[in-house]
Amino acid sequence: MLRHAQRARGRLGGPSPYPTAAARAGRTLGAAFIVLAFTAPLLLLVGGSLRRPGSPPPTRPELVPDRVTTEGYATALELGGLLRASVNSLVVVAVAVPVGVLVASLAGFALTRVPRRIAGVVAAASLGALMVPTTALLVPRFALFRAVGWTDTLFPLMAPALIGTSPLYPLVYYLAFRAVPTELYDVCRLEDVSPMRTWWRVAMPLARPVTAAIAALTFVVTWANFLDPLVYVYDRERFTLPLALRSLATLDPPNAPVFLAGAVLATAPALLVFAMAQRTFLGHPGRTRR
Amino acid sequence: MNDPHRLLAATLGVALLATGCTGSDPKPPVKLLVSGAPEEIAAFRALAQAYQAKNTGSAVQIIEAGSAGDLITRLSTSIAGGAPPDVFLINYRAYGQFAGKDAIEPAQERLDSSEIIEPGDFYPVAMEAFQWRGRQLCMPQNASSLAVYYNKGLFAKYGVPEPKAGWAWNDLLATASALTRDANGKPVNAGEADAGGRTAVVHGLSVEPVMIRVAPFAWSNGGEVVDDPQHPTRFTLEDPATREALRNFVDLRQAYGVVPTDQEAEAEDEESRFVNGRLAMIMSSRRVTTTFRTITGFDWDVAPLPTYGTPANILHSDAYCITRGAADKDEAWRFVEFAMSPQGQRIIAATGRTVPSNVEVSRSPAFLDPAQRPKNGHVWLDAIPVLRRVPTVSTWPEIEDATSGLLENAMYRGDPIDKVIAELDATTRPLFARAEAP
Repeated sequence: MLRHAQRARGRLGGPSPYPTAAARAGRTLGAAFIVLAFTAPLLLLVGGSLRRPGSPPPTRPELVPDRVTTEGYATALELGGLLRASVNSLVVVAVAVPVGVLVASLAGFALTRVPRRIAGVVAAASLGALMVPTTALLVPRFALFRAVGWTDTLFPLMAPALIGTSPLYPLVYYLAFRAVPTELYDVCRLEDVSPMRTWWRVAMPLARPVTAAIAALTFVVTWANFLDPLVYVYDRERFTLPLALRSLATLDPPNAPVFLAGAVLATAPALLVFAMAQRTFLGHPGRTRR
Repeated sequence: MNDPHRLLAATLGVALLATGCTGSDPKPPVKLLVSGAPEEIAAFRALAQAYQAKNTGSAVQIIEAGSAGDLITRLSTSIAGGAPPDVFLINYRAYGQFAGKDAIEPAQERLDSSEIIEPGDFYPVAMEAFQWRGRQLCMPQNASSLAVYYNKGLFAKYGVPEPKAGWAWNDLLATASALTRDANGKPVNAGEADAGGRTAVVHGLSVEPVMIRVAPFAWSNGGEVVDDPQHPTRFTLEDPATREALRNFVDLRQAYGVVPTDQEAEAEDEESRFVNGRLAMIMSSRRVTTTFRTITGFDWDVAPLPTYGTPANILHSDAYCITRGAADKDEAWRFVEFAMSPQGQRIIAATGRTVPSNVEVSRSPAFLDPAQRPKNGHVWLDAIPVLRRVPTVSTWPEIEDATSGLLENAMYRGDPIDKVIAELDATTRPLFARAEAP
């Protein structure tokens, strides 16, 4: 069975999307342009965070302040309670990302096992759910979480993982699993492999780049979630990073370096996750680590 | 971990362990929802601690919201979801939406029977702002208004006389024009600034183009901004006196160029511009005082608003309101009583951001500290007899939102004033029509 799976991986890989030197150069140039576009604000963010808090705001953007200091970071950690907030955010993503990925992939896999018509109805319902504005669900969700005693805890921030974080993610997995040759699933069935084992041992390894992308997106969505903690969390001890950062955003202009330092601390983990995941989801599927 | 069942079970197990369980508290704390900068939140924590020290066994939980908008989101969701905070602090321009839905427990009866505070302890104009259908709904924590902050260093450098009480709109214009300078320190004359290719690096004045900045000048000129302050149905900006005040306001940018352009205002906010010494005057409430106290490069002070003859100013006030769904309304009131007492008011006044609503505290060094800037801090107290307020109808926040873009277009883009007035009227009439009035 595994030989079949390995052959399938080779087929899924297909030809390289950048077959010529010109195409590869184009990709490199495009990547360089995107990096430049996104690096400039990041550098300004880091530069601003290294200014001395309390000094008059600069009249124009500064990449490197006259006097570099890390006072902003110390103040941000103390004033904003960023250490505690970081721990809370890490706890939330540590639970929400794996649960969200597992649920989304299981749901996506389940869709491949049901008749196309039913899968189509589920996909349409998922797309419909995607169109519901988040704010429309705030009050019903608040009432629900209150009924189960989850308000002012971290549970409401993890709860979206139980539906795969977003209705889109199961659909992405569904499309990825549908790309696997059906004879592979047929072989599994003939060899009496359970659907759960087929999902875990056959389908998931073939969809590794998709898993990396969904995991990274789930991480970013959960890490940057501001609205849910604003509504469901009261106690400062349970604030997550975006909420703690929000309180620093209200500091007066001379203390902007404190806010910017907080923003650097909040942004760094997301960048790290993307850096770790990009090899998998940007790489050619045929070249992914096995 | 090759078994998928075990993997799922382990992940969910971590989820349960991660958040833990909370024990039940025999006496739940009073939940106080407030918004503000960290130093303001710190003052509320100090207030809560002082309350707890005075009332053994009582506790206050501060629920923070970064901004007023976040506070409204938190409050409206929790009220609709059936678990509101016990007490919240809100501006008089925003509380109507909750009063209209009967989400606020009136303070009137408890105030009448209070042995700690009484209505006469507070400025009537602030108390009246929080009266809804004949009853005191909330208790005003502060009674601020607009003042003109000015950079004394720039006035001295360019030999311009400092503003004095009783100065007129034209004095403001002349002063702002004299202080609007180019890179060589030469006056940039009025609307010729762009035509001459010289741009101002120091501006004479900054004032936000919003209704609450325009209104006091309309009142001072003998005009009105709405047809009925209690039960408004429309704006009355076409009224000749109001129109003249609005025209002159817009001309600060359009005809005289003494306030920064839209791009300049977007590039650097007015507080930063003042702190950087590139703005001679800024029209703002007491809120910015804390920021300006960090200035070391020059001295600054405040002056009253200029007038068109009749002194007028606009109330800026926030109040403690108890929610209908508060778990223990009597305990919530005990906290409000304490917060409104001289001791509680002094704790909040120490931030420097507010003008205490308690008459006694506002006249004490807790507010008029001679060791602290501004030296002319009494201008806020002098303004109290001439304070007026905008309507407190339930849709007022939406009405303000609808007006700000149009006023910006008039100020920065030069949209014809009558077109702006007509658009304001057309846009806001439906909002007035569905408003709940106090």
